[in-house]
Amino acid sequence: MNKIIMMALALLAQSAAAQDAYVVGVTGAMTGPQAGILAPVVEMAGAYVNHINGRGGVNGKPVRLIVADDQGEPSRAAANAKKLISQDSVVLLLNSSVSSTYAPVVAETKRAGVPLYFAGAVCPKETYPPADALQFCSTAFGATLDSQAALNFIGKSSKEPVRLGLAGMAIPVSRAEIDYAEGLAKKLGMTPVDKEITPPPTPDYTAFATKLKDANPNWMWAWSPWFAQVRTYEAMRRLGWQGRYLTWAHLNAEEELARIKDPDFYVIGTNAFFEDNLPIQAEIRAVAHRGNVKYPTTYLTEGYIVGVVLETALKNAGWPPTPAKVAAAMSKLKVDLKGLRGGPLEWTKDNHFRTRQYYRVWHWDAQKNAVARVQDWQAIDVARQ
Amino acid sequence: MQLAVNIVVLASIYALISCGYVLIYRVSRVLSLAHGELMLLGAYGLYSTASLFSGSPALAVAMSALLAAVIGLLVYALLMRRMTGESVLAAVLVTIALGILVRGLTVLVWSTQERHPLNVLGWANPSLPLGGAARISGVGLAFVLITASVYGALYFFLRYTHWGIRMRAAGQNPLLAAQRGINLHGVYALAWALATFTGGIAGMLIACDNALDQTMVAIGLKAFPAALVGGLDSLLGALVGSLIVSSAEVLLIYYIDPLLSEVVPFAVLIAMLIVRPWGLFGSREELDRV
Repeated sequence: MNKIIMMALALLAQSAAAQDAYVVGVTGAMTGPQAGILAPVVEMAGAYVNHINGRGGVNGKPVRLIVADDQGEPSRAAANAKKLISQDSVVLLLNSSVSSTYAPVVAETKRAGVPLYFAGAVCPKETYPPADALQFCSTAFGATLDSQAALNFIGKSSKEPVRLGLAGMAIPVSRAEIDYAEGLAKKLGMTPVDKEITPPPTPDYTAFATKLKDANPNWMWAWSPWFAQVRTYEAMRRLGWQGRYLTWAHLNAEEELARIKDPDFYVIGTNAFFEDNLPIQAEIRAVAHRGNVKYPTTYLTEGYIVGVVLETALKNAGWPPTPAKVAAAMSKLKVDLKGLRGGPLEWTKDNHFRTRQYYRVWHWDAQKNAVARVQDWQAIDVARQ
Repeated sequence: MQLAVNIVVLASIYALISCGYVLIYRVSRVLSLAHGELMLLGAYGLYSTASLFSGSPALAVAMSALLAAVIGLLVYALLMRRMTGESVLAAVLVTIALGILVRGLTVLVWSTQERHPLNVLGWANPSLPLGGAARISGVGLAFVLITASVYGALYFFLRYTHWGIRMRAAGQNPLLAAQRGINLHGVYALAWALATFTGGIAGMLIACDNALDQTMVAIGLKAFPAALVGGLDSLLGALVGSLIVSSAEVLLIYYIDPLLSEVVPFAVLIAMLIVRPWGLFGSREELDRV
C-alpha cells in the first residue's frame, strides 16, 4: 500500500514539474521506411531544445520535448496525438511524419484546440493562405510551388524543346504533385512524354526506368521521397539514358550529390547547403555535437529551423502558456534564418506556410570536383490557393 | 529484349528471397515473417564488415555471408528451438516479434540513415551491354548468377548429401525421421542458417543495387506471393512462381499501368488460390496443416 502511495506521489510530482515547463509533443517517423529523412529533423530539434534549456530556457522556464514514434503509421500517429494532448497536456504538437498521418493528427488537435506544427514532411495545403487557424508548417518543400520552381529552371536551362519525363511515388501528395507538374508543363510549352508512379518501395526500379527511357525525355522531374527519386534516376542511367534529371533536395541531397557525381543530376531546394559555410551553419554543427546527434550535419538544417521557430513562438506566447496563446504567437511569427533560406520565415494570420519561397539549384561540378550551385535564390510569392 | 532482361533480374530477386521462406516452411512448417528483417540484418552485416575490412572487399563479403548463416543458427538456437512442440501459430508469432526486435536493433545500432555498402566496398555497379539495346547492371547480373548457383547448390544438397536427405525426411515426417535417429534440432538449425544465409545475400545485393535502409523489410514481403504461387514447400515452385509474378509485374508496368505492379503479385496469388490453393508445385496435404 505504501508503495502505491509513494508511486502516486512521484507521479504527481512529475506532473507538477511538467507544468513548470513548456511541454511540446512530437509524433514522428523515428523508425520505419521514411525515418531516414524524418528522424534527423526530430533529433536536431531535440538537440536545439537542450541548447535552449542550457541557456536558461524560454522566459526562464525549461522546454520539455516529448517524442513519440509513429513509424509513419496513421493509427500510431493518432494514438500518439491523443496521448500527448490528453495525458501530457502539450501546448503544441509537432508532426514530423509521412503525409498519411496528417488527417488523424489534425482531427485530434482540432478537437482539443491545440496548434499543430508540421516539420519534416510536406506542408499540407491548409497551411497555405487562407490558412487553417491551428495548422503551421516550416518544412522546406511545398506542393505546387516546387514544381513551378523546377519547371521554371528546366525551361530556362533548355535551349532545345523540352520533352519532360515525370516520376513520382504511389502516395497521394507525390501523385498529386506529378499530375500538377504534368499540367503545368503543358502550359509552359513543354511536352510531357511519360509519367511513372513507382510503388513504395520496390526491389528493382529498372522496369519503371525502361518505360521512361523508351519515352525518350531530355529532362526528368521527380518529386517523391528520396529513395524513389534517386533509384529511378540510377536505373535510367544504367539503361543508357543520357538526359538531365532534376529532383527535390531532401535532407541528404548534399551528401548524395557527392556520392553520385553526375553533372546532369540536379537538385532543387530551399535550404542552403553547408558548402556555403555560413556562421549559422557553424552553430548548427556545435549544437548537434553537444546534443550527440548521430546524423551528418548536412541533414540538420530543417531540424535547427524547427528549434528556432519553437523558441520564438514559445517566447512570444509568454508564461504560463496555453495552446491558444501559442497559436496566437505562431500566427504572427517572423524568424530571421540568417542565410539558411533565401529570406525570413514569416507566418501571418492568413498564411502559415511562408509569404515567399526561395529556391536554389545545385549539381556536381566535375571540374571543381565539388557540389556547385547553378541557380541562386529565386523567389516565388505564395498566393492564396 | 530489355523487358526479358528485366523479368529475369526481378525473378532472380524474388527467387533468392523466397527460397528462404520455402526452406524454413518445408522443414519445420513455420512461416518466417521475420525474413525481411533478417535480410536487412544481412545487409547491415555487409555494411559493417565492409567498413571493418576496408581494402579487402572479398573478405568483407565472405565474412558477412558467414555472419548471416551464423545469425540464422543463433535465431534457431536461442529462440525457435524453444517453440518445438508448440503450435505453429505460436512459432509464427515469435517470428513477428523477432522482426520487430531486429528492426529496433538496426535503428539503434546503425540509425535510420541511408547507407551505401557498395561505395564502402569500393566497387561500382556498371551498366553492361547485352547485345541490341538491352543492358543489365553489374549487381543485376550478380543476382541472376548467384540465384542460379544457390538453387543449383540446394538441388544438389537436398538430393545427394546426407544432411540434405535428412532435411527432406524431417520435412516429410518429423516423427518418423526422429525415430530413425535424425537429429531434428540439427536439421531445423541448418534450415534456419541456410534461409538466413540466402536471405542475407539477397539483402546485400539489394543494398548494393539500390541502397540500405528500412524499406528492405517491405521488399522481403513482396517476394512472399511468389513463394505461395509456386507452392510454399517447393523450391522449384519458388523459382517458377517468381518467374510468373515478375513477368506479370514487368509486362503490366510497361504495357498498362505502373501502379498495377503493387497489386499484380497479389492478384496472381488470389487467382492461384482459387484454382490450385496448394500452389503450382506444392503438396496438396499442406492445406490441412495450414
